[in-house]
Amino acid sequence: MTAVHPALRARRRRAALRNLAFLSPWIIGFSVFFCYPLLSTVYFSFMHYDGFNAPVWSGGRNWSYVFTEYPLFWPALRNTLWLVVVMVTLRVVFGLGVGLLVTRIRTGAGFFRTAFYLPYLAPPVAATMAFVFLLNPATGPVNHVLGGIGIPGAGWFTDPHWSKPALTVLAVWGIGDLMVIFMAALLDVPREQYEAAELDGAGAVQRFRHITLPNIRPIVMFAVVTGVIQTMQYYTQPLVAGKVASGIIGNSGQQFEPGYPDRSTLTLPQLVYNLGFQRFDYGSACVVALVLFVLAMAFTALLMRRRNGFLSAED
Amino acid sequence: MTHATLDPGAPDLPGAPSRTASRTGTAAGTRARRAARRRAALEWTAVHSLGIAAAAFFVLPFVFVLLTAVMSDQQALTRSLWPHPFVWSNFRTVWDTPGFLTWWRNTLVYSVVGTVLTVVSSLPVAYALAKFRFRGRNTVMVLVISTMMLPPQVVIIPMYLFWAKQLHLDGTLWPLLVPLAFGDAFSIFLLRQFLLTVPREYTEAARVDGCGELRTLLRVVVPMIRPAIAAVALFQFFACWNDYFGPQIYTSSNPAAWTLSYGLESFKGAHHTNWNLTMAATVLVMAPVIMVFFFAQKAFIEGVTLTGVKG
Amino acid sequence: MSRLSKAAALAASAAALALLASACTGQSSPGATDDASKDVTITFWHGWSAPSELKAVNADVARFEKLHPNIHVKVQGNITDDKINQALRAGGPTAPDVVSSFTTDNVGQFCSSGAFADLSPFLAKDRIDPAATFPKPMLEYTQYQGKRCALPLLGDAYGLYYNTKEFAAAGISGPPKTLSEFDADAVKLTRSTAGGYSRLGYMPDFHGYESVPGHLAAQWGVRYFDAAGKSQVAKDPGFAAMFGWQQRLIASLGGFAKLEKYRSGFGDEFGAKNPLQTGQVAMGIDGEWRMGMARAAGMKDLAVAPFPVPDDQASTYGKGYITGTITGIAATSTKKNAAWELVKFMTTDTDAVVSFANAIHNVPSTLAALKSPKLDPDPAFRTFIGIAQNPGSTTTPPSVNGGAYQVTLQDFGYAYESGKAKDLRAGLAGVDQQVDKDIAQAQG
Repeated sequence: MTAVHPALRARRRRAALRNLAFLSPWIIGFSVFFCYPLLSTVYFSFMHYDGFNAPVWSGGRNWSYVFTEYPLFWPALRNTLWLVVVMVTLRVVFGLGVGLLVTRIRTGAGFFRTAFYLPYLAPPVAATMAFVFLLNPATGPVNHVLGGIGIPGAGWFTDPHWSKPALTVLAVWGIGDLMVIFMAALLDVPREQYEAAELDGAGAVQRFRHITLPNIRPIVMFAVVTGVIQTMQYYTQPLVAGKVASGIIGNSGQQFEPGYPDRSTLTLPQLVYNLGFQRFDYGSACVVALVLFVLAMAFTALLMRRRNGFLSAED
Repeated sequence: MTHATLDPGAPDLPGAPSRTASRTGTAAGTRARRAARRRAALEWTAVHSLGIAAAAFFVLPFVFVLLTAVMSDQQALTRSLWPHPFVWSNFRTVWDTPGFLTWWRNTLVYSVVGTVLTVVSSLPVAYALAKFRFRGRNTVMVLVISTMMLPPQVVIIPMYLFWAKQLHLDGTLWPLLVPLAFGDAFSIFLLRQFLLTVPREYTEAARVDGCGELRTLLRVVVPMIRPAIAAVALFQFFACWNDYFGPQIYTSSNPAAWTLSYGLESFKGAHHTNWNLTMAATVLVMAPVIMVFFFAQKAFIEGVTLTGVKG
Repeated sequence: MSRLSKAAALAASAAALALLASACTGQSSPGATDDASKDVTITFWHGWSAPSELKAVNADVARFEKLHPNIHVKVQGNITDDKINQALRAGGPTAPDVVSSFTTDNVGQFCSSGAFADLSPFLAKDRIDPAATFPKPMLEYTQYQGKRCALPLLGDAYGLYYNTKEFAAAGISGPPKTLSEFDADAVKLTRSTAGGYSRLGYMPDFHGYESVPGHLAAQWGVRYFDAAGKSQVAKDPGFAAMFGWQQRLIASLGGFAKLEKYRSGFGDEFGAKNPLQTGQVAMGIDGEWRMGMARAAGMKDLAVAPFPVPDDQASTYGKGYITGTITGIAATSTKKNAAWELVKFMTTDTDAVVSFANAIHNVPSTLAALKSPKLDPDPAFRTFIGIAQNPGSTTTPPSVNGGAYQVTLQDFGYAYESGKAKDLRAGLAGVDQQVDKDIAQAQG
């Protein structure tokens, strides 16, 4: 065993202190705003707690209530999964499509890019209200125009079969972020590969399949995984859409019906609010929160395993 | 220059007519050239028609919102889409709504202070993760990404109880601002990605010159990654400006602490809901975000592309 | 990793313990010790938001401050129940002293959780007998299981709004009194077009704003809970009768899909384009506030009457659904005696109640005020006062988990009207089970 040189040890200690100092904001933030509340959420999920009377141990009751008795849980989970599958797919497809389009526009490229990008910046509450207004089945301009060309308009936000598609339209409208990411990725594809393929007589579709797609695969994966995570947090738009479309929001005391119409816009995050801040059943709200946590972490694990750009390990 | 990299004018993009075909100067070459030119013209038309259709989809909602915002209450929600008369005073009416100015001020405080806190606290962490070698660095990185992926609703119950029942700060902006002073996972991640591109030689040189780490960071590194800092700042600014969940949980019990997002929703909810006024308010909430975007477009687009960089 | 998480776990459990230790601050003794004759400022939260309503509330408070120059009231409007619940749980210096809520739904929660202070000692101290002061249904919805933690602050009554011009055009002489007359009139007033309506007699769908199961079921005089506090919507025949009636009416007016499509074209309930105000529907169930809003929107053809009753209960015509605004004192308040002075003034001072009722056209909430000659003589307003005084009028009772049981019933209503749920008996039994489960979960 060799003794470590005192000077070396001092240097190491200094380096460790330095690391600690630089990392300290995160260490504090991580423990106070992540670890503590997460463990606390687990703790409360086994407690009956209404905010007034001291928490009482209730074993697995909240869990069985949420999974077997709470009528909103399964519809909300189904909706969340529907949105994850349909909304994320369409957003990625359209984002890529618009990205492709914008790389090929020669005239007025700046205008088009800005036009495609702007909706992404619209505040969600404002954008949702605008879409409920635009898609109002009887008075909105969209159905008006559709009627004009002989297509019967849908019920959109007032029809349980159409409310999620309506939300999807809203989400596709805001694909500016994906468009820019895909645009950058597309421009990064080495030109020589296209030239070589063209000499081999490859058509546009083949070039897209065999050159473009493999090159931007990490970006597509990135878009999918972040899209999934965003969709699991999907809260503001469905909440505002449901409240505004129902038209019954004047009577400020009443519990609003979550997920109007017919629970079709209910998502898991809304349940945390419904249970925690309307029914004040903190325990059950924590159960839903943990379900959300497990789902989010499962997708994150998937992301880490695929190693697509998140952990470029060394500098 | 990002603009140059992003400029789609570069000729040899997927599907673009290749130059190689027109090299030979024979008659066949001329024919090929003419065919290529015709193909290019056709493609130009197709691409731009598609572009105009897409632009209509993206822009028309804004137009309808704007038009409705200046309609009379009688006309809003009817089939006629062109305002007659133009009621510009709708904006004035919304502006004079009790509380609207306060919500504006609160949103500005949340966005500006929140942004400053985020940048100041995230930068050293990102620097350490990008430039220092230490055991557990990758573990920290994994944890940062995990928190980045975490829906805010997961920890909201204990956080709310902590702020409201223990510190009695319910109905203020503090619960929204304080956590931002301890590093934001997304910003840390973004800054680290950028810092990785700063060549080690620069920091080594500064170190050799006897600079402490903090001075190296502030004097050498920060000037080099200004665009990244701007991008992070803009992201955070928009995130705060558009946040609805946080203000709903923490400020709802005190209208004097409401932000625009939350206030806008209640604006619609108040007993006298007029779509024209609601849309005018919508315009007033959107306007600053779009203005900020126009001023900072470059840094922002750079930031967005950065999130997806390099596999 | 493991060392870090161990440290974090330690920190977190310490914090959790701290949270536990301080978790029971909401409970406070009913005894109030503050001196209401000293200079003091109290905070009053309410839900009104329209400019005319705000003016009325502020005038009411100003009258109080004139009578009690030492008590200053800080008024905060546009507050919903979610926020009240949240603020009362948080406590602290910004929490309100006096709270009012637009809905009676949460009284059960307020009383049983201890969020609102028990008012009995205050009432006893000032020798106020609630039974001799307030109408019976209002007494019922301001207490829970014998604990009186709230008092009524004006009431709401529901009646039938009908379009006199349409009635004249269809040759109908007066408002229907029984449901079979009502159904016939609804059909007679309806003008169908290809795939829609140019005018609808009545919108029977439960999403038609105020036409929710809870408001309609009052016409059958239903009881939601049995003596043991168990839900009994399957046992009380009124509920099945109400759902059956609504189902038949939907069929005779053209079917659910067609009606829903027409409904989606309605303007907002509290906007100027409410369907009663635009004439899109000729009849509707709504509260007393609608008349003022309709007049403000330029609609002159509306008249009101009590909502019709089932044919086999024709003698009870005149009753309706009653609800109202309630007010109480926050359990966390340290100025309960001063707060009580405000509550007492607003809820029991006849002049105060009458002028507030006249100003916002809500139904007065004391027996004396209901008989006051100073009440607005407007016939529509008087109709609602009649409904509020009718002995057959009923309300939705308070429950430990607020309005959740009504939401459950409504949910079933949506499923039943759309044809998704077919079996009425089984559906109502399911509602009972769900309500009982939710209540058990809320009680812990």
